[in-house]
Amino acid sequence: MSLSTAPLARRVLPAAVALALLTGCASIRSDLPGPPAVPTARAAQDALLRTAERRLVDDCLTGRGVRATAEPRAPAEDRALQAALFGTGPRELSVTLATGATVTAHSDGCLAAARDRLYGDQRSWFRVQVVVDNLRAEAQARYRDDPAHRAALARWTTCVAPPGRPRPEHPDPGEAARCARETGLDETRARLERAELTEVRALHHEELATYRQLRDRALRRAVLLPAPTPPPKGNAPS
Amino acid sequence: MKRLLATTAAALLTLTTGLAVAGSATAADCPSGHFCVWQEANFGGQRANWSGDDGWWESWISDTDSSWANHGISGPGIKDHVRVYESAWQGGSMTVCLAPGQEVGYNGAANDRGDSHIWATGC
Repeated sequence: MSLSTAPLARRVLPAAVALALLTGCASIRSDLPGPPAVPTARAAQDALLRTAERRLVDDCLTGRGVRATAEPRAPAEDRALQAALFGTGPRELSVTLATGATVTAHSDGCLAAARDRLYGDQRSWFRVQVVVDNLRAEAQARYRDDPAHRAALARWTTCVAPPGRPRPEHPDPGEAARCARETGLDETRARLERAELTEVRALHHEELATYRQLRDRALRRAVLLPAPTPPPKGNAPS
Repeated sequence: MKRLLATTAAALLTLTTGLAVAGSATAADCPSGHFCVWQEANFGGQRANWSGDDGWWESWISDTDSSWANHGISGPGIKDHVRVYESAWQGGSMTVCLAPGQEVGYNGAANDRGDSHIWATGC
C-alpha cells in the first residue's frame, strides 16, 4: 500500500525506520512502503524538480552563509548572493547552438551544485537542457528567412507600427496580437514551426533521449529528498 | 525606421566606446532575480535589467543588445526562464531561451536584434 503524498511518506518513513531500530524488530521492514511514487503529470513533475532544486540551492547557500530572500538587498550584498548562487570565474559550462548562440554558465555556484546533485552530472544536464530548451528557437531560426514568414512579419510590423507615425512608447499588446491574427503571421508561423520542429527534434534525438533519461533519474532522486528542515527561529545557527 | 535609428545609434556608440574588451572570465553583474541585457559583448557597456516582462524594450537598448544573462531565482511555480524575441510583443522569432544562471556573451546571429522578452516556466 503506497502512501498518498510524498511529504507524508517523507515524514512516516524515517519514523518507521526509527521505530524498527528502537524495537529491534526486523519484521517491520517488510511493511515499509517502497520509495514514494514519481508523479505522472508533467506539471507535478516540474513542481517536484523545482522544489528539490530550490531545496538543494538553499542548503548550499546556507553553507556559504548566504540567503536568497525576497527582501531587497544592498548592491554589495546582492553581488555576494550572485556569486554564491550563479558562480564566478571562468564559464566552464558552454554549448554552442545551431542558432549561433553560445550559452554559458559557471560550474561553481550553488545552482550548479544543486543541478549536479539532482541530475547526477551537471555537464551532461547543461548540454541537453540548453539544446532542448532552444529547440523552438532553432526551429524559428530555420524558418525566419522563409519568404512566407518574411512577408507575414513585414505585414505585422506595418500593422503594429504604421509608417509615418512616431513609434509608440507603450504599444497595446492587444493590437500586436490582433495584427498577428489579421496579417496571417500567427497562422504562417504555426505552419512553418510544426514542420521545422519535427526536423529539429529528429536532428537532436540523442540530446532528447539523454534529457529524458537524466530528468527521470532526477525525479527519482527528488522524491527521496528529505523534507526541508523548518527555518530556525530567531538568529541563524552559528 | 526603428531599425534604422537603432543601427545609427549602435554605430555612434561603437565610435564613442570602442570595442568591448571585457574578459569572459568576469562574472556578469546582473541583480539576482533579474534578466539583463548589455549593449556590448561579454556583459559590457550600458546594461538594461528587468525583473518582469517587457513587450517593447526602450529604444536605447532595442536592436543594440549584444549579451544577455538570466539571473532569475527558481522555485516551485516561478517563471524563471527568459524568452528573448527579435520583435516587440513576441512578434518575431525567439532568438534564445535562457534558464536561470545561463548567459550568452555574444551571438552573431542575434546581435542587435532583441526587442522584447517574457519570463516563462519553460521554453
